[in-house]
Amino acid sequence: MSQRNRLAKGGRIDRGRPLQFSFNGVSYEGFVGDTLASALLANGVDVVNRSFKYSRPRGIVAAGAEEPNAILQLGATEAGQVPNVRATQQALYRGLVSSSTNGWPNVERDLMGVVGEMGGKFMPPGFYYKTFMAPAAMWPKYEKYIRKAAGLGRAPRENDPDIYDHINRHCDVLVIGAGPAGLAAALVAGRSGARVIVCDEQEEMGGSLLDSRESIDGRPAAHWVGKVLDELAAMPEVLLLPRTTANGYHDHNFVTLHERRTEHLADTAPPAQGRRQVRARMHRVRAGRVVLATGTHERPLVYAGNDVPGNMVAGAISTYIHRYAVVPGQRLVLSTANDHAYRAALDWHDAGREVVAIVDARDNPGGDLAAEARNRGIRIVTGSAVIEARGKKRVSAALVAAIDVEGFAVRGTADALACDTIASSGGYSPVVHLAAHSGVRPEWRDDILGFVPGKVAGLLPAGGVNGRAALAQALADGTEAAASALAELGAQAASITLPEIRSVREDKAVALFQVPHPKPAMRAPKQFVDQQNDVTAGGIELATREGFESIEHVKRYTGMGFGTDQGKLANINGMAIAARCLGQTIPETGTTVFRPNYTPITFGAIAGRHCRELFDPRRYTAMHSWHVANGAKLEEVGQWMRPWYYPRGNESMSEAVQRECRAVREGVGILDASTLGKIEIQGKDAREFLNRIYTNAWTKLGVGKCRYGLMCKDDGMVMDDGVTACLGDNHFHMTTTTGGAAAVLDWLELWHQTEWPELEVYFNSVTDHWAAMAINGPHARKLLAELTDIDLANDQFGFMDWRSGTVAGVPARVFRISFTGELSYEINVQANHALHVWKALFEKGEKYGLTPYGTETMHVLRAEKGFIIVGQDTDGSVTPEDLGMQWCVGYKKPYSWIGRRALSRPDTQREDRKQLVGLKPLEPALVLEEGAQIVLEKELRIPMPMFGHVTSSYYSPTLGHGFALALLKGGGQRMGQTVYLPMADGQVHAATVVEPVFYDPEGSRQNV
Amino acid sequence: MSDAAVFDVNPAASVASESPLAACRPRVATLANAEGAGVVVRERAFLGHLILRGNAADEAFVAGVEQALGLPLPTKACGLSLAAEGTSSIQWLSPDEWLIIVPGGAEFATELRLRECLGGHFAVVNVSGGQTVLELSGTGVREVLMKSTPYDVHPASFPVGRGVGTVFAKSAALVRRVGEERWELVIRRSFADYLYRWLLDAAEEFGVHIAD
Repeated sequence: MSQRNRLAKGGRIDRGRPLQFSFNGVSYEGFVGDTLASALLANGVDVVNRSFKYSRPRGIVAAGAEEPNAILQLGATEAGQVPNVRATQQALYRGLVSSSTNGWPNVERDLMGVVGEMGGKFMPPGFYYKTFMAPAAMWPKYEKYIRKAAGLGRAPRENDPDIYDHINRHCDVLVIGAGPAGLAAALVAGRSGARVIVCDEQEEMGGSLLDSRESIDGRPAAHWVGKVLDELAAMPEVLLLPRTTANGYHDHNFVTLHERRTEHLADTAPPAQGRRQVRARMHRVRAGRVVLATGTHERPLVYAGNDVPGNMVAGAISTYIHRYAVVPGQRLVLSTANDHAYRAALDWHDAGREVVAIVDARDNPGGDLAAEARNRGIRIVTGSAVIEARGKKRVSAALVAAIDVEGFAVRGTADALACDTIASSGGYSPVVHLAAHSGVRPEWRDDILGFVPGKVAGLLPAGGVNGRAALAQALADGTEAAASALAELGAQAASITLPEIRSVREDKAVALFQVPHPKPAMRAPKQFVDQQNDVTAGGIELATREGFESIEHVKRYTGMGFGTDQGKLANINGMAIAARCLGQTIPETGTTVFRPNYTPITFGAIAGRHCRELFDPRRYTAMHSWHVANGAKLEEVGQWMRPWYYPRGNESMSEAVQRECRAVREGVGILDASTLGKIEIQGKDAREFLNRIYTNAWTKLGVGKCRYGLMCKDDGMVMDDGVTACLGDNHFHMTTTTGGAAAVLDWLELWHQTEWPELEVYFNSVTDHWAAMAINGPHARKLLAELTDIDLANDQFGFMDWRSGTVAGVPARVFRISFTGELSYEINVQANHALHVWKALFEKGEKYGLTPYGTETMHVLRAEKGFIIVGQDTDGSVTPEDLGMQWCVGYKKPYSWIGRRALSRPDTQREDRKQLVGLKPLEPALVLEEGAQIVLEKELRIPMPMFGHVTSSYYSPTLGHGFALALLKGGGQRMGQTVYLPMADGQVHAATVVEPVFYDPEGSRQNV
Repeated sequence: MSDAAVFDVNPAASVASESPLAACRPRVATLANAEGAGVVVRERAFLGHLILRGNAADEAFVAGVEQALGLPLPTKACGLSLAAEGTSSIQWLSPDEWLIIVPGGAEFATELRLRECLGGHFAVVNVSGGQTVLELSGTGVREVLMKSTPYDVHPASFPVGRGVGTVFAKSAALVRRVGEERWELVIRRSFADYLYRWLLDAAEEFGVHIAD
């Protein structure tokens, strides 16, 4: 288990703390401080995956979020499986188990690789669509194998044992990225006393300073990082969030950060102080200003064979050497179009390994780094580039040739240089993604050969992302950005003295993206643009030739920029190639749209704690514990959990409901009605307000009386209903449907505040204050009489009256209203006392057979009476007249009311509107399906004219047959007709149209 | 106003009463005592809660409330008047709406006193059965609140004596800062079970103790 690429000293790893881990079943050793990628490179692992489409062997290319190939599956246990982890961003921990996500049967011996090798030439963009088109029926078969061979990691098959979290944060300045610009900005903002959050996606803060060759104040740059972080950590208003990626930049400086709290420790979060720890946390940050200091991503050059393991971006080499003391090879060729990348060769040379050559596309590089390379005697080949990498599972040679950058041509013959590593640098692309989430397109700058963020209010780019990457510039830019941010917030910025930097002179870079090859792109060995999606320069060229001119179309046709890395390395190169093929400039071609999230994020962090029992609020009444103790089956009604039915012994639902129905009709039953919406209305204009908001009249309703009311929207359609009681001349108690409670209160406030502010009236919700229990049935009076001081005589306390008194010693308002058609009292008490009253009713009720009933029985009983349920028997297109409720519409009220005008339109007056009717199936035992369509003909034809649908349907033990309510075109004129209900299984049911009131049409039972 | 009905909903003799949390059994590991707990949760059950509506621009109304309650009516947004002994409070809820909290059982007398001292257009509504109060204390409370509400609970934005109505998890709550390290949540009865579970779950990582 030798770490053959590990240097004996240097790096930011702890050699005293070795860590065992495994990759594809083989054990390796790394150190604390390693990433999984650095540990794999240290152990000389070249092939980490097979490519998506051609199954080519792939190695590690980069050192950060931009890595396209090292996308691995993690997890020692099934529940701990994590798919698609970038090895470059995964800290090594003891016992880490990883494997390739692609390659079948495995990465070293891959079946599809053969296809890719033979058929590679014949697999252009759209290959799968074009090849496996016919016969269509075979596609599922093809797909199964294509998906098995291609595709990324897999989700765990067991429940995630971890917990996740969201947290809301507010700050004056959010600094994204803790490199030189970000740290300088944080220092200024922090010293100014501002509330500051600094987030950085890496294990360690410091960004490019951690792998820099430069010094700050005469000491290594990393020393300055430590000093600044110590100072920031000591500031009470500064929050440092390492391992935290800013993943989405939303309107008004709302930024979502994804913090990985334990992923550097183990597969699943280890307990801390004996308590569960949050594995990942989403910070929802509302920032006054955002300093965007995300730096740059180095662009690799696009040359033939550039995907063979051993090809890397130049900066990654410096990162692996400086931070992890890993030199990922023996013999290096560097191909560059700029000065900055020379550091890779110098770092390699410092590590004591051979630099075969630096190949520079420029004719006469003359910067400080080039001079140093020359001084060391490193061979520099100018005006040239690596045009092709040779090798299969590892680079074996680089073909170097002189090139004509402007003319996109190779000059002369190629020279093969034996090497095992090719580093390339085409330049540095500012990481504009977050700024682009705002919808503002990035802007091209010729001087830096890159896109910078467009102007976004409240967002201040600084450092590399702002085109000011050189160390001294970045520090100054961060300082200025923080000062501007504070000034925009009206705060004074503390001054800081910028540290001393010895400036490094760099020559101008040349614009090189795709490297020319003697053969045209379509025939040359593959020149990869997007390694994760196997998109080649030839593929992009073909796409433009096939007529895809918009970069968005090129992206979708070739797949460039899709995948988990979202084309971080590929996009700009791809755009440049498309631009060249289309004969236009890069800014004319433009970028594709960047969308959140910047890097993939676990579903757990999105869900946070909104899962399992906390997924959604569940609302309970004061009697809930009794319902549960007495075996109630529950039904969700909105967020309320209501008793549905109370089965006894082995009763089926239908048996329980029939028993409950009979108990109400023949004895006495009780319903928990607490969920109904209740609104207190007070003020001298309360009565007038009711006249305007309800369809019916309220002028004459006396104190002690109740009335049923219908509410319409302004379109004349029924929106809610309920009983309102007059408590005092200027004081009413309104009830609404359970589901409509909040909407009705909003509706009242809306009309009061916007249309009739002159009316003196106040509305307040008392839904939760009052618990309500409705006792129904012939024995209801006898039962209540045992517990109350209220005179229950029918002539003293009649139907639709209310009285106050005590029930079981508790002050109560009792409403004599009925939703079952039986003698009924609805007892309302302060909710804290409700369970006591409920239990007292059962104590006295035993001898009357008091039976609790749930929503299902309630539905059957009310439907027998033709009482509608708004939202079940209505759907927002039903008028009071459609329901046959003309009696509830006060056309003669002096002041207009909501819906009145709409109800006078010809359309609402049509006789063939859908109207509420009853249906009696010809087969008595049949219960029609709710939602079943009604037709008038038994024989089906196409098109079949449809006349309505069933809205409510039950079996009635009282009637001894099934029955239904329905909305039927011209229903009022169809009494006695037979209609038909064709079912999905081919059966056609028949039913007779009847009046919607099936039971006690005179209403005598509730009036006794 | 004589034409509004007043009604004392409390029984003359004591009967069994349940707070909205009586049956709630959260599945969270709690600490046996407050020592070492980052968050201490205590329900202040059975208090008197009244909603007052009226015109804050009407000086007589403002004076009448103060006369009735002995506490100034907070007329600025998010104001909270606290009695020195901590037994009563008035919280601004909206430009014409306040929550009055008084000791349990005192709500009816308070309502009568308000009706006596106020004239013109106003409303008083007893909501005591419909809500309960949770008192939160400890070093972890602020973070628990940050997990639950988008409102900024930093001391600069949320000084002692402030109360806001806000989104809380997927429900709503009144959040009140009643002391340097003491906060109160006023929550609706029907949502109390959900919010209590949420709160304890959010507090678990700090060590949470439920106080009597």
